[in-house]
Amino acid sequence: MSGRLSVVMTILLSCSALSLVNAQYQARRLFIELERAQSVARQLDIEWSQLQLDQSTLGKHARIEENARRDLHMVPVTAARTQYITGEAK
Amino acid sequence: MRPTSRRATANKGLPFSSSPLLAVKLPAWRSRFVLFAMFAAFLALAGRALWLQGLSTDFLQKQGEARYARTLELPATRGKITDRNGEVLASSVPVKAVWAIPDDVLEAPAEKLRALAALLEMPEADLRKKLDSDRNFVYLKRQVEQETVDKILKLQIAGIETRKEYKRFYPQGEVMAHVVGFTNVEDSGQEGMELGMQKTLAGVTGSRRVIKDRLGRIVEDIAAVREPHDGRDLVLSIDSKIQYIAYTYLKEAVDKFKAKAGGAVVVDAKTGEVLALANLPTYNPNDRAVLTGAMLRNRVITDTFEPGSTLKPFTIALALDTKRVTPTTVVQTSPGRLTIGTATISDSHAHGPLTIAQVIQKSSNIGTAKVGLQMQPQEMWEMFTTVGFGQQPKFGFPGAVAGRVRPYKSWRPIEQATMSYGHGISVSLLQIAHAYTIFARDGDLIPLSFQKLSTPPVGQRVITEKTAREMRAMLETVVSPEGTAPRAQVPGYRVGGKTGTAYKIVGGRYVHDYVASFVGFAPASDPRLIIAVMVDEPKGAHYGGDVAAPVFSSIAGNALRALNVGPDSTVTSIIVPANGPQESM
Repeated sequence: MSGRLSVVMTILLSCSALSLVNAQYQARRLFIELERAQSVARQLDIEWSQLQLDQSTLGKHARIEENARRDLHMVPVTAARTQYITGEAK
Repeated sequence: MRPTSRRATANKGLPFSSSPLLAVKLPAWRSRFVLFAMFAAFLALAGRALWLQGLSTDFLQKQGEARYARTLELPATRGKITDRNGEVLASSVPVKAVWAIPDDVLEAPAEKLRALAALLEMPEADLRKKLDSDRNFVYLKRQVEQETVDKILKLQIAGIETRKEYKRFYPQGEVMAHVVGFTNVEDSGQEGMELGMQKTLAGVTGSRRVIKDRLGRIVEDIAAVREPHDGRDLVLSIDSKIQYIAYTYLKEAVDKFKAKAGGAVVVDAKTGEVLALANLPTYNPNDRAVLTGAMLRNRVITDTFEPGSTLKPFTIALALDTKRVTPTTVVQTSPGRLTIGTATISDSHAHGPLTIAQVIQKSSNIGTAKVGLQMQPQEMWEMFTTVGFGQQPKFGFPGAVAGRVRPYKSWRPIEQATMSYGHGISVSLLQIAHAYTIFARDGDLIPLSFQKLSTPPVGQRVITEKTAREMRAMLETVVSPEGTAPRAQVPGYRVGGKTGTAYKIVGGRYVHDYVASFVGFAPASDPRLIIAVMVDEPKGAHYGGDVAAPVFSSIAGNALRALNVGPDSTVTSIIVPANGPQESM
């Protein structure tokens, strides 16, 4: 009787040991994956701020005005050429 | 041969108990010696174990850990600075510092060093000079962009290393330079809001301890991670569109009059937010190789000057408020000169009898002085200090100056008279713009802010609502054809304001250089903006009405349009019928 019990216990113990090994392996693998994802997130963050900077640089009012004047031959609006549209009729 | 044969027989046949060796009497010290030696050996082992396990265990564990555990620094990014609409004004981008171990690098072939010098944008001689050093660590260049670094690393020169750092970029360049400021290579603020808000902008670097495997991959955290805290983003009250407008027109005026410097500030009269603050001369914060003190100076905030006539409305407002005069009270200003004590003050033109409203409109020194002399010095002093003159400003901007208002006890009558029209007192342009909120806002003073506000601040009443309205009406006449600043008119909007033309003081004496200024609000029916303009040492013209007023007009017109403020003056307007626009007009 006690012989059979110890065989069962031995099998259980080996299973437990193997699952521990497996769990540790999985944990490390997932951890590395997490690391990788985090570094991708950081990289995207950097890219985002770089793009924001580009947007601000390209959208600079000085640059827009220069382009509008040079390429599109636009001129600033003057009061003499402005007509205001009022919302409600009186 | 006998002894040999005898031993052989003894080994073979004798039982142990009868071995003759047992009968041999050895001296007692020999066994004791063996015992002692063994005991000593065990003692040594125990001592060693105690030493390893007990005394030097920390050291040993540390050494062990050092072979697989690493502490990583988790860098924190400095917060961004944006304008009120979210446009980025300053942002940090990771770059690399390139450093070298000189001895190793110098062994590289000459053409590689030449290529390196070209990539670092420095003459080869300079590079060699840097490398000609006994040290093991030499920075070759800091804040190198990633693309260049990749090219450098491709050269595969031994002894060239890189280190991660951040570089701050300022996309709006010189237009925003004075407001935003800049940081140094260590990423700490040096000027402007970068300096003023250094504490919240700067991040806190974190760290984590990890186990790394043979390939350098992180396997596991072995201690709690100290999270890095990125710096908080800062949203300024500045509107980059209005800032650009202010900068452009100020620059136009400074160039036209070949002025030494200029400043302009636009304040939201409803909330006290500073919408624009322009300074000239200026600099490009991205390229600070040729900085001078004059360029760095934020004249609007850190320079004081005698404001001159822009201060007259405060004297008149006090007189109205204390019911000493009304807008229609007549003051005799003829013959254009007034002697007080030993000194004589004068108007630039003789005017004869003027009403109080006309005193403001024509900017009469004598009229203002006569009104000013009716008041107690203490009352005037209180008025000046309440609106912030001579008081340390709380703008949250580094280097803001208090200006100077002398204590009223030491005022002589002539000083009181000159102070009533803005001489013998010094203020900064931002202080004047701030003080004008009492006219633009029905009599209460609100604090200024460089950061975007979610709720408007609570004002502090300085003059009555009635006085403020009367003052607005008077200040509106200044821009009429009979006033001193008809050129401040803005088509489509009613505006009001006051000119100022003051001699400069150099070394305690007045010199023949001027500061032309104009401070005003628009639209006059319900002021939305307060705009103050100052031009330092203009050539060709020097009156505030000729130099600064046109700048005010351009900024006000364009800024109001940018803010979608409807015109309050006569304009051609298309009335859209209630049932929608129609084709035939």
